[in-house]
Amino acid sequence: MKNQFKLKILSNKKITDKLYYLILEPGKLAAQVKPGQFIEVRISDGLEPFFRRPFSVFRCQKSVELFYEVRGKGTEILSAKNKGEVLDVIGPLGTSFSLPSKKVKQVVMIGGGIGVAPFMALSDTLNNKGYELVLLYGGRNKDYTFNMSEFKKNGCKVFVSTDDGSVGVKGKVSVLFNKIKADAERTMIYTCGPRAMMASVQDFAKKHGLKGECSCEEVMACGVGVCLGCVVKTVNGYKTCCKDGPVFRLDEVVF
Amino acid sequence: MVNIMNLSVNIAGVKFANPVTVASGTFSDAWDMKNIKQLGALIPKTVMLNAQAGNPPPRIVETPSGMVNAIGIENDGIDAFITQKLPIYAKMGVPVIVSISGKTDEEFVIMAQKLNACPSVALIELNLSCPNLKHKMLVAQDAEATARIVALVKKVVNKPIIAKLSPNVTSIADIASAAEQAGADAVSMVNTFQAMVIDVEKQKSKIGNFTGGLSGPAIRPIAVNMVYQTAQKIKIPIIGMGGIANADDALQFIMAGATMVAVGTMSFIEPDTALQVLNGIKAYMRAKKINDIRALIGFLK
Ligand SMILES: Cc1cc2nc3c(=O)[nH]c(=O)nc-3n(C[C@H](O)[C@H](O)[C@H](O)COP(=O)(O)OP(=O)(O)OC[C@H]3O[C@@H](n4cnc5c(N)ncnc54)[C@H](O)[C@@H]3O)c2cc1C
Ligand SMILES: Cc1cc2nc3c(=O)[nH]c(=O)nc-3n(C[C@H](O)[C@H](O)[C@H](O)COP(=O)(O)O)c2cc1C
Repeated sequence: MKNQFKLKILSNKKITDKLYYLILEPGKLAAQVKPGQFIEVRISDGLEPFFRRPFSVFRCQKSVELFYEVRGKGTEILSAKNKGEVLDVIGPLGTSFSLPSKKVKQVVMIGGGIGVAPFMALSDTLNNKGYELVLLYGGRNKDYTFNMSEFKKNGCKVFVSTDDGSVGVKGKVSVLFNKIKADAERTMIYTCGPRAMMASVQDFAKKHGLKGECSCEEVMACGVGVCLGCVVKTVNGYKTCCKDGPVFRLDEVVF
Repeated sequence: MVNIMNLSVNIAGVKFANPVTVASGTFSDAWDMKNIKQLGALIPKTVMLNAQAGNPPPRIVETPSGMVNAIGIENDGIDAFITQKLPIYAKMGVPVIVSISGKTDEEFVIMAQKLNACPSVALIELNLSCPNLKHKMLVAQDAEATARIVALVKKVVNKPIIAKLSPNVTSIADIASAAEQAGADAVSMVNTFQAMVIDVEKQKSKIGNFTGGLSGPAIRPIAVNMVYQTAQKIKIPIIGMGGIANADDALQFIMAGATMVAVGTMSFIEPDTALQVLNGIKAYMRAKKINDIRALIGFLK
């Protein structure tokens, strides 16, 4: 397959008890990735776990970087991989974020938990383009929060909430929606995270007539649009998360 | 001089350059098509008379060495398939086997007639894992219904017909035999095994459709045995499938009696599986000094 690569792990660092940061050599992959796209990682050479695992590309400037949460057996195995080991990946896959129109002044990225991952690549692209970049990040607790300095270096104003108030404002990320300028022409929203969170962003955007995009997550098998296993319900019928998405128009998805 | 190796096989007069193909539902033009040209044939996902949206998600769940799926034959209908997809597949230069399924006998007949008029269709595969009206089972679970549909389609087409069989039966060889007697030119086996996976945390099925079908390496030894049992009973060719991951797996099906083999689920994990299977079969034949693949078909008696 032409977009299948074997890339060496340059580092795989534990950030918190739950979050890891993996850096792969760029190979021929890094230069092809657009913000919002993902790769399918073969976790082991054997058949357990069976499916490849999808991960957004966190960064792709000098290397291919993933930012991931240890959730189950696949990410557990991934977290134990060492520098020098080789990962078999397929990508870049799926749709990417469309860039804001010229009229847009404020770009708001709303990430829930590990859903923040694709926004690093997006802010790498939008930095220094004249937009006001805002990142609203909601995490469960301090295990799901991390140093936001890289986002800040990209010119993002960062606001954090946690469910338990251990970091930032207490509450769901919606407590930060007051940072969004409700200007239909000049605000663009991007969101990625749990369904309920994206639904609340959709409601907010609808109420204020704001344009936006969301990145969806479904269990995937093939990752390329063949098996039709990962469909997302949209106002235009079922669409594959892996090929028609993961990035969809915010008003298109039925959460 | 290099010894010329024959990999070609023949089903009802249609010649295939080699015995390796892809299983219906696990291949489409969304695939990287470069390698497809090297395969013996291609079989796109089952099409129906009318477009169908498919089942509610979640549609898939992984299992030990396999997966359960309940896609629900999401498809755009036969007319859209013929005008939009078929030309793309025809360009691949390998015989195209079109899989169809009907909600009624009539639908099978109408679709078969439409495909019969398409020069780029080499064979027609009847996916008989569809409801058998008036009976609480699938057509493929009923020898009479299987024979009835095969005979009806056979009457209206001159292209060869393949009956795709379900393993969810007491004796798949009996159903295969019924298909053969009704005029099927080949059988394709096996479809997925009815299965379910329960999320005990959420206390509900992990599949939106409640139950689904198991595929992948988990089913392979059962499928090999079914091909073997069936090969003892019928004379028409068998297209064998079920969890093929490498040449060794494929050769098991061939030795059990399959004329062709199809790679399904494993393509999702390793997109080049079918090609690797083909290359592995060649390497095996070289190593064993076998010049003709046909010498291996049904080798095990
Ligand atoms: C396009 C896309 C991009 C992604 N990007 C990232 C990323 O950048 N970083 C990151 O950490 N994760 C990302 N994910 C999620 C990641 O793929 C899953 O967390 C991972 O597959 C879990 O594997 P596991 O074996 O550890 O967990 P499993 O053992 O498979 O599952 C553990 C639990 O999580 C649930 N679960 C697993 N996968 C999913 C899913 N896809 N949707 C909903 N529930 C699920 C299971 O039902 C189970 O309860 C992305 C997913 C998609 C579809
Ligand atoms: C996601 C998925 C979709 C499938 N769709 C079809 C289909 O549309 N028609 C059909 O005849 N078989 C379908 N099958 C069954 C396969 O063609 C094959 O018979 C079965 O999966 C066993 O082979 P495997 O284990 O190599 O996948 C599907 C299988 C999977 C996994």
